[in-house]
Amino acid sequence: MAEQSFHRPDSVEEAVRALAAGGEDARALGGGATLVALLNAGLVEASALVSLAGIEELARSRREPDGSVRIGAMRRHRDTASDANLRDGQAVIAAAAAQIANVPVRNMGTIGGSVAFADPAADYPPALVAAQARIEIAGDGVRREVAAQDFFRGWYETALEANEIVTAIVVPPAPAGSRGIYRKLCRVAGDFAIASIALNLTRDANSVTWVRCAVGGCAGAPVRIEQAEALLSGGPLDAERLDAAGELIVAALDPVDDVRASAAYRRRVVPRLLRQALEAAGT
Amino acid sequence: MSRSIAVDLHVNGRLRELRVAPHATLLSVLRDQLSLCGAKRGCNQGVCGACTVLLDGDPVRACLSLAANCEQSEITTVEGLAHDGTLAPVQQALIAANAVQCGFCTSGVVLSAHALLARNPTPTVAEVREALSGNLCRCSGYRKIVDAVVGVAGRGS
Repeated sequence: MAEQSFHRPDSVEEAVRALAAGGEDARALGGGATLVALLNAGLVEASALVSLAGIEELARSRREPDGSVRIGAMRRHRDTASDANLRDGQAVIAAAAAQIANVPVRNMGTIGGSVAFADPAADYPPALVAAQARIEIAGDGVRREVAAQDFFRGWYETALEANEIVTAIVVPPAPAGSRGIYRKLCRVAGDFAIASIALNLTRDANSVTWVRCAVGGCAGAPVRIEQAEALLSGGPLDAERLDAAGELIVAALDPVDDVRASAAYRRRVVPRLLRQALEAAGT
Repeated sequence: MSRSIAVDLHVNGRLRELRVAPHATLLSVLRDQLSLCGAKRGCNQGVCGACTVLLDGDPVRACLSLAANCEQSEITTVEGLAHDGTLAPVQQALIAANAVQCGFCTSGVVLSAHALLARNPTPTVAEVREALSGNLCRCSGYRKIVDAVVGVAGRGS
């Protein structure tokens, strides 16, 4: 086994340097809820562990004057679940955070860690896509932002390059009066999703007037279908319109048979989850 | 072998100056170096809850925490709950309700429930179930556990 080391830098720049100096098996450590479980199981090796827990700027959530919210990568799920900065449709992210695992894991796990691991059945990815969030990344001398939709590339694959870390999630303001809804189907409370739906929408009496919709757990990355969104917000929301939107979404899924459910089951339940989520939004 | 590192942990009100492996989990340090075996090694994956301890009063998974990352926090294990030989109210309630079967999950249950009651002294059944949803009891003795925790509020403690 390679020599192990532990680092707890005070700044993002130091963290990036420590990762680069640590070699190929160096890993950034968020709350530990994922990485330490993988280390315990022998599924990953780490020579250097670079804890991000000592970097103050990563622990904060801040609402900007334009209504966007910057959630530091080390914010715990517990704090994001009750983050009063997330308003209107932005609250889809808080709703997703509240449904992650259980109390002790929400006390440990961080949004940056979850996003960087990119489990396709995790709760944040579809919520971040529906909220049109951007992922802020720091590397050697650079900070860049990638739209959540482009960040999640496939099964556990992201836009992160070597020696880069997620530093924040930037959530743009949602339309006035919009709502954020997150619904997931799982075997038992606290499990990863069989399938999940994140909505960020505005509505009037009979119709959805604007919507962003993403499905989790049914492909390598969140599935967002713009034609389905256009259909859902294109007129009175009757059964026919809902069915047609559901079909468009199901056609774009790439689900697998796994321990939680079959691919066929996932295709069947997604339109129902969509309907339930829309009902929860009062449509 | 990797060189050990110096770590100062505050455990159950005592400062413990230790040398630990760089990647040692809090669970392994508590059990193997401090002989505090109340926290159990169950799944070692953060799922079962048998290793639950309190960090600054909040329940966390000791198996997913690195000891080297816990220097800033006050760590409480089940061994630290009793005061002068008197068990905490939730411990007394679990005993009174016969809510312990094999006992493997019990220390985690005690700490999750203790943290809940510290924040919310009169929880509902639903709130107790939510707070304990990360503590698996393979004897499936949940009913008595939940009854006992809800009952703490009624014991005037």
